Amino acid sequence: MRRPGPLQWLMVLPVQSLVIAVIALPSLWVLWLSLNEATYGQANVFVGLKNYATLLGDRYFWRAFVNTFIVVNVIVYVELALALALATLFAAGIPWRPVVLAIVLMPFAVSEVVAVIIWRFLMDPEVGAFTRPLTDLGLPYFDWAIEPAHGLALVCLISVWLHLPFTFLIVYAARLTVPDELYEAARIDGATGWQTFRRITFPMLIPAMLVALVFRYIFAFRLFSEVWLLTQGGPARLTEVLAVYLYKQSFTYNQFGLASAAGWVMVVLSGMIAVFYMRLIYRNMFATEPAR
Amino acid sequence: MKRLLRLLGVLAVLLWSGFPILFIVLSSLKPARDIFVYPPVWIFEPTFQHYVELWRQWPVFFGYLQNSLIIAIFATLLAVGASTLAGFVYSRYRGRLLTASAFFLIVVRLLPPIVITLPLFPTVDWLGLSDTHLLLVVLYATFFVSLNTVIMKAFIDGIPGELDDAAKVDGATELQTLFRVILPLAAQGMVAAAVFVFVFSWNEFLFAFIFTTSNAKTAPLIISELMGSLTGVEWGMLFAAVSLQLVPIAIFLLLLQRFLIAGLTAGSLKG
Repeated sequence: MRRPGPLQWLMVLPVQSLVIAVIALPSLWVLWLSLNEATYGQANVFVGLKNYATLLGDRYFWRAFVNTFIVVNVIVYVELALALALATLFAAGIPWRPVVLAIVLMPFAVSEVVAVIIWRFLMDPEVGAFTRPLTDLGLPYFDWAIEPAHGLALVCLISVWLHLPFTFLIVYAARLTVPDELYEAARIDGATGWQTFRRITFPMLIPAMLVALVFRYIFAFRLFSEVWLLTQGGPARLTEVLAVYLYKQSFTYNQFGLASAAGWVMVVLSGMIAVFYMRLIYRNMFATEPAR
Repeated sequence: MKRLLRLLGVLAVLLWSGFPILFIVLSSLKPARDIFVYPPVWIFEPTFQHYVELWRQWPVFFGYLQNSLIIAIFATLLAVGASTLAGFVYSRYRGRLLTASAFFLIVVRLLPPIVITLPLFPTVDWLGLSDTHLLLVVLYATFFVSLNTVIMKAFIDGIPGELDDAAKVDGATELQTLFRVILPLAAQGMVAAAVFVFVFSWNEFLFAFIFTTSNAKTAPLIISELMGSLTGVEWGMLFAAVSLQLVPIAIFLLLLQRFLIAGLTAGSLKG
């Protein structure tokens, strides 16, 4: 392999300078801001870790933290379960596969704003085409604007709907690479459908599922638009997630230092999630190596 | 029995993914009295009345739709162009510093975008870039150069290096090799990379919400404002706006679906 010269560095430069100027330097600046008392129109005052202390004592921050934790886990695991079920269904052979596949991928093209509008309409407590049949079946009145738990449930629903195509594609692509002979052998040995899934499909898909998990954890963690457009974090700041908390502290309450501290907490948390799952992926790859 | 279960599964899938979109587009064509009712009306006189109303009451919507298109096109060009150059180098060259820079490119992408809005907000103001198309183009492109570089590297990896060598023997410079030999063969990868940035830029909300006020506003933003200013009867108009924003991109994705799949498998499994 050749070593890069000046021309090659020049070719890498556009990509690197975009990322450095727009993402890397501003994030370091946020780190500095988080150590300062910063509001609009006033000089910054260095205050050390005071913002972090304030943050950890703020009950709205903890509410946003807990909400994010619950919502992200629900989104990621529900999505993974659905993707797995869907991949299994597709692999079992279904009529008009290309058409169904195209329809399954469709939500990928939908913006968060539009998804919120669609689902607000479908889940309207009075006239929702989805809520009314459920209410008639005896489920409680779905009051997403008043009841924080219902609001967050709707956020989860919208987010899963938007991102299922992504998770599904990753899992399905992996499912297609599982050799048919394995299923053939299982059939000859008289394995039931569940046993085949439990002993072949599931273990073979673990690496792909971990990849999907990392991606989705990191992206779900940024959740902003769905919550903002649906509830704006209300009522009484009960449905805020971390990104909404950060937005409000900075752009509504002008506490840029505190918001920056929240920002760095988000950075560190997503880093931890990434490291945790990357390690799982590597360990999993090495663990399955001898079996081949 | 098994066939029946599968069929039920397919129906559930269609109800979940397809029905919500279809339902909204249909509702945009319903007379106002048939929209906000339960049970839903299936047989109705189709009307373009809400589209006409949108044109009369919110003419700005169409300007912002155009903004979205311009921003998405330029963000796509910038991201795909920059990533193709970088993807070529990462595919054909090795070196410790180069590997480190590739690692950096991936890791930096893990940062939540909302975090950088804090320092960017005053900076952009100071540079006179707030509320400009250019700013959104740069922001959107930046958030996709990492994935696009991985996609381009994966696609260029699939093109045998012997072709480069043959071109070199024939006296082609490096850039000539890239543009005449590699790019025609990596065109698929470029389309795959383009699909991701384009769809993202067309739909993005957060940056548009924070950094635009009037001039560079995009369609998702004006739709959110339309939603906020609604009084019950105008749902038809909102659905008309939603359909105008959604249908073109849905058709676009439908046509380029296989590139989406190719890009995602290249980006996630090989990267």
